[in-house]
Amino acid sequence: MEFKLEAHRIVSISLGKIYNSRVQRGGIKLHKNLLVSLVLRSARQVYLSDPCPGLYLAGPAGSPAAPPQQPGEPAAGPPAGWGEPPPPAACAAWPETEPQPERPADPAPPRVGAAEPAAPVTGAGDALRAGEVEEAEAAWRRVEGPREAAEGGAGVFAGAEGPRGARRHCGCPPGGEDRPGALGACPRVDCRCAPRPAEDEPPAPPAVGPRKRGAAGVGGGPAGGPAPGSSPLKKPRRNSEEQPGGAEEEEEMETGNVANLISIFGSSFSGLLRKSPGGGREEAEGEESGPEAAEPGQICCDKPVLRDINPWSTAIVAF
Amino acid sequence: MAGEGRARGGAGAGLRAGVLGGGAGRERAPDAPGVSAGAGGGGCPAGGNDLQWCFSQVKGAIDEDVAEADIISTVEFNYSGDLLATGDKGGRVVIFQREQENKSRPHSRGEYNVYSTFQSHEPEFDYLKSLEIEEKINKIRWLPQQNAAHFLLSTNDKTIKLWKISERDKRAEGYNLKDEDGRLRDPFRITALRVPILKPMDLMVEASPRRIFANAHTYHINSISVNSDHETYLSADDLRINLWHLEITDRSFNIVDIKPVNMEELTEVITAAEFHPHQCNVFVYSSSKGTIRLCDMRSSALCDRHSKFFEEPEDPSSRSFFSEIISSISDVRFSHSGRYMMTRDYLSVKVWDLNMESRPVETHQVHEYLRSKLCSLYENDCIFDKFECCWGGSDSAIMTGSYNNFFRMFDRNTRRDVTLEASRENSKPRASLKPRKVCTGGKRKKDEISVDSLDFNKKILHTAWHPAENIIAVAATNNLYIFQDKVN
Repeated sequence: MEFKLEAHRIVSISLGKIYNSRVQRGGIKLHKNLLVSLVLRSARQVYLSDPCPGLYLAGPAGSPAAPPQQPGEPAAGPPAGWGEPPPPAACAAWPETEPQPERPADPAPPRVGAAEPAAPVTGAGDALRAGEVEEAEAAWRRVEGPREAAEGGAGVFAGAEGPRGARRHCGCPPGGEDRPGALGACPRVDCRCAPRPAEDEPPAPPAVGPRKRGAAGVGGGPAGGPAPGSSPLKKPRRNSEEQPGGAEEEEEMETGNVANLISIFGSSFSGLLRKSPGGGREEAEGEESGPEAAEPGQICCDKPVLRDINPWSTAIVAF
Repeated sequence: MAGEGRARGGAGAGLRAGVLGGGAGRERAPDAPGVSAGAGGGGCPAGGNDLQWCFSQVKGAIDEDVAEADIISTVEFNYSGDLLATGDKGGRVVIFQREQENKSRPHSRGEYNVYSTFQSHEPEFDYLKSLEIEEKINKIRWLPQQNAAHFLLSTNDKTIKLWKISERDKRAEGYNLKDEDGRLRDPFRITALRVPILKPMDLMVEASPRRIFANAHTYHINSISVNSDHETYLSADDLRINLWHLEITDRSFNIVDIKPVNMEELTEVITAAEFHPHQCNVFVYSSSKGTIRLCDMRSSALCDRHSKFFEEPEDPSSRSFFSEIISSISDVRFSHSGRYMMTRDYLSVKVWDLNMESRPVETHQVHEYLRSKLCSLYENDCIFDKFECCWGGSDSAIMTGSYNNFFRMFDRNTRRDVTLEASRENSKPRASLKPRKVCTGGKRKKDEISVDSLDFNKKILHTAWHPAENIIAVAATNNLYIFQDKVN
């Protein structure tokens, strides 16, 4: 559980850094963003692979999305039951903020170095926006890139969708919807949903089983993966509580930036997804373009539930 | 035959011969793991032993409230050590000159005083990309002196400038066409001609930009390095390295390009680059993945393929979320001898023998106690700090900075290391610096400082060592400390 908390914290911090890098003087620093994206990817892998049923991101989902950590992980393609749509809550935010003109203008995949790629993409005025959008999305893209390359996109879908599916099993999300910052709050408060998973435990593992099929050694893999990382993580976790920054302030920042982050990533995603081939991708894309564009094959039954998930978690999940 | 062989052998053979000074059978560092017994600093005298560092001078405002523009961003001695240049975030360059030792003022002991100050770079705005270009001076490199004037290269993120610093101590008087106050005289009024004569005047030091090397870098320039041929230099940004001729500003050659076709596949960037001090065809560049590539420009025009590849295998037991960040190399420097190079990553300094690519010959821990704090350091961005390192004149000692205004010195011969502090409290003239110690756990002894008490805003990123003498310059935020060895 602690690995997950730490990983989540690191993910949120990293996203904040990427977001803030947009407004830094001197333009976006390629080196720093690259390093942040590497941390983000590692943390995300741990986050998604940690088999903690307490949080809505369940273990099995992450396994195909974490090839280096999970030994012998076959990319099982979109595992059974991963037809769930991406979070509609996010999609509600995303379409509003999509800077459409910028997407088609960018013929090449999004890049991190806003300096160079921003030039072909942007017109006057939109330059900065496109830059930051591209930079943000490129950061994400990079996070996903290697995985995608390795698994032909299937893993990405898996990673994106698994957690959503798993959410249904754990009673956590409905409880989490009460507060917008629930995701941030939930792990920090030592997972108020902890008792719930205990109850859900018996049904959860068997239900989760089919999803685990594609994730050989989920139990051993994630444990082996984050374990070495966990000890150094645990100490800083406690230390940081004492720091003046404070976990609460950190959370404040997260939720404060969430809407903006979502808007950035949302608009990024529309572009990303449009360019990417693959069925799972289209699902997400269709989902993104709004409930109004009901994509064939969309499983919409969970939409009402998922819409209530706070946008933060959906952002992570979508990645 | 030998010549042919070398040519055919290509970069490898020629390089080896060059680096080893043409000899065969030079002593190699023993193949020991970790910190090795060392092969000595290339046979240099033991200049690093028993150094007793004393405070000499401090430059800069004492004010607690530090303006960001005053933060020193680079420090560099010139080839003779008589001049010391600093660049700051405000785009200014300040040059200090060492006073001649004077019998009438024996205590000055060669003090450094301000020689010239000028605004090197201004903030710019790239309208096409809507990006501001910072005026912060990233690096200064001196050119070897060839005449009375001094030349240096200074660079910000995008533009490199060649500055000429010259002295003027004479003034011409007696012009025909203008008065002493500069007003033009009416030519019809001139009845006699005179030859202007030179009269002495107060020394004036002028800095003028002689060359501006612009528009060659898409990404942020992190390094410049003057070649030993004194005609060319390289500039490196995150993805590319360009070779320039000092006289030619409208063209540069791209010699390294690691930009992937698809930027999504980007996995590493260039973090530092330097020319070999003696071999004008050899340079190295370090990456964010903790690797160093040595390239020979004779082997091909585009040096994307390295001649040597230096990498130490990662220790899997120390893997964490931040392993990649802390393995990113922030500085790479050749030793004066050209036989070794030193790299600085977040927690350590490594000395590499150019003949051994598999691992460094020495690894020195700078502040290992920070390893358990990496998450907090990530949060407050300290983990991205780029520390520099430098060699002592004899290559027997190396120095690098840390936090809390501490800096570390490692003597390669005696294997001793010391932590010193640059602070105003220790700034009595010729006061010896007391070694500091960080308490890493357990009971804190007197005079020790605990890890949690370290001030991470006081970081020493930039240090410089006089090329010949034991004089060091340490930049602590907006202050420049100069320390000398007692025996100096």
